[in-house]
Amino acid sequence: MSQLDFEISQRPDFAIVTVRMQPGEKVYSEPAAMASMTPSLTMKAGMKGGWKKALGRMFAGESLIVNTFSAETAPGEVLFAPGIPGDMMHYELDNNSLYLQRGAFLAHSEGVELSAKWQGAKGFFSGQGLVLLKAHGKGDLFFNSFGAILEIDVADEYVVDTGYIVAFEDTLDYKVVVLPGSRPTKTIKNFLFGGEGLVCRFSGQGKVWVQTRYVHPLLSWVYPFRPVKSKD
Amino acid sequence: MQYEILARPAASVAKLSLSANETITCEVGAMIAMTTGIAVETTSGKKGGSGGFMKGLKRMFAGENYFLNHFTAQAPDQTLIIGPTMLGDIVHHDLRGGSLVVQGSSWLASETGVSVDATWQGFGKAIFSGEGLFWVKCSGQGSVFLSSFGAIYEVDVEDEYIVDTGHIVAFEDTLQFRIVKAGRSLIGSFLGGEGLVCKFNGQGKLYCQSHNPPNFGKLVGPKLKPR
Repeated sequence: MSQLDFEISQRPDFAIVTVRMQPGEKVYSEPAAMASMTPSLTMKAGMKGGWKKALGRMFAGESLIVNTFSAETAPGEVLFAPGIPGDMMHYELDNNSLYLQRGAFLAHSEGVELSAKWQGAKGFFSGQGLVLLKAHGKGDLFFNSFGAILEIDVADEYVVDTGYIVAFEDTLDYKVVVLPGSRPTKTIKNFLFGGEGLVCRFSGQGKVWVQTRYVHPLLSWVYPFRPVKSKD
Repeated sequence: MQYEILARPAASVAKLSLSANETITCEVGAMIAMTTGIAVETTSGKKGGSGGFMKGLKRMFAGENYFLNHFTAQAPDQTLIIGPTMLGDIVHHDLRGGSLVVQGSSWLASETGVSVDATWQGFGKAIFSGEGLFWVKCSGQGSVFLSSFGAIYEVDVEDEYIVDTGHIVAFEDTLQFRIVKAGRSLIGSFLGGEGLVCKFNGQGKLYCQSHNPPNFGKLVGPKLKPR
């Protein structure tokens, strides 16, 4: 049973979540996620969890600041949408943990804690930053993507390109590897020329969410259209 | 091979189910996720083939990558999810003999029975069509997956049809096109923002995309920091 009364609409291209709140309820979101709300709610920006947690969030590619929306005396509703067109998922944490890719966090209910999790060499090689955001506790979590989100139930093993991972359950183990070829020499060639580079190999039992588009290839596509700096 | 196209039209991906020993050839960078019983081979030509140097080079001029990735299932029931770079749609075209001429960056993947080669469409088209210098020619038997910027719509050309430059995804080679001016007068054509258009004639299938990639690039690029 989820804590919040919510509804996600306009999936998968322009997903937005409406949260209906009763007096005494609180919901937390990343800055600038609020699209609209009833005036009965109050918003407060702050470094939730103190400066240590805030710095952790920053290292995990999120903001220092978390906005708190509370319904103090009257009920109300608030709508959250991410900065980039795409999909959104709701996940109910039940004293377990979920790892989020940089930028994937949107909002959560009371009872959910966010912290940074150092990934060591795995993070270094995945090209996605050294730190992942870890959500744990009991409550509702909303995360977003660029493109649609596909949910994959890993029963044994699964390979995902590092750039397309949105989130995964902590029951899964992962390794960053080179895309496997049919022979070792082929594997090297795949790595150098195959364009897939490094992939994440998940093992164990759990869910992984992948996005259907990745911002970086799109940015590389736009790059040649940028103006050229004039030489003085 | 079984396929399913998900999240159409803006964030579409193709989910392919491969049986043992089935191979699919994809554009470099197309793989999003897959099961672990698939081996990948990067070549510049056919799978396992040597040479292919010239083919790779020509493909590069056609706006594709020099290399191709071949995904082969080593075990039964393998799944491969592929998708393009741009926000847009994917269509499946079943080739039964014949050829399909594809705009450079729209080719996403094809089965091994399909040969993927670059084709020269002449100087006029190279300069004025708003597409690449070369086009990708798919011929043979099997599935071809095409991607677009925006939605894809199909037109069955019976006689003649006009498509604006930059909106072509692919067409069957039973069709030919010429570059003509959009309006009656050349100045009027350019003032109207249409300029030159592609005029098709013949009988066959034509795939068009709702949005024009170079126009989008020209809209966004100047707003970014100089490189």
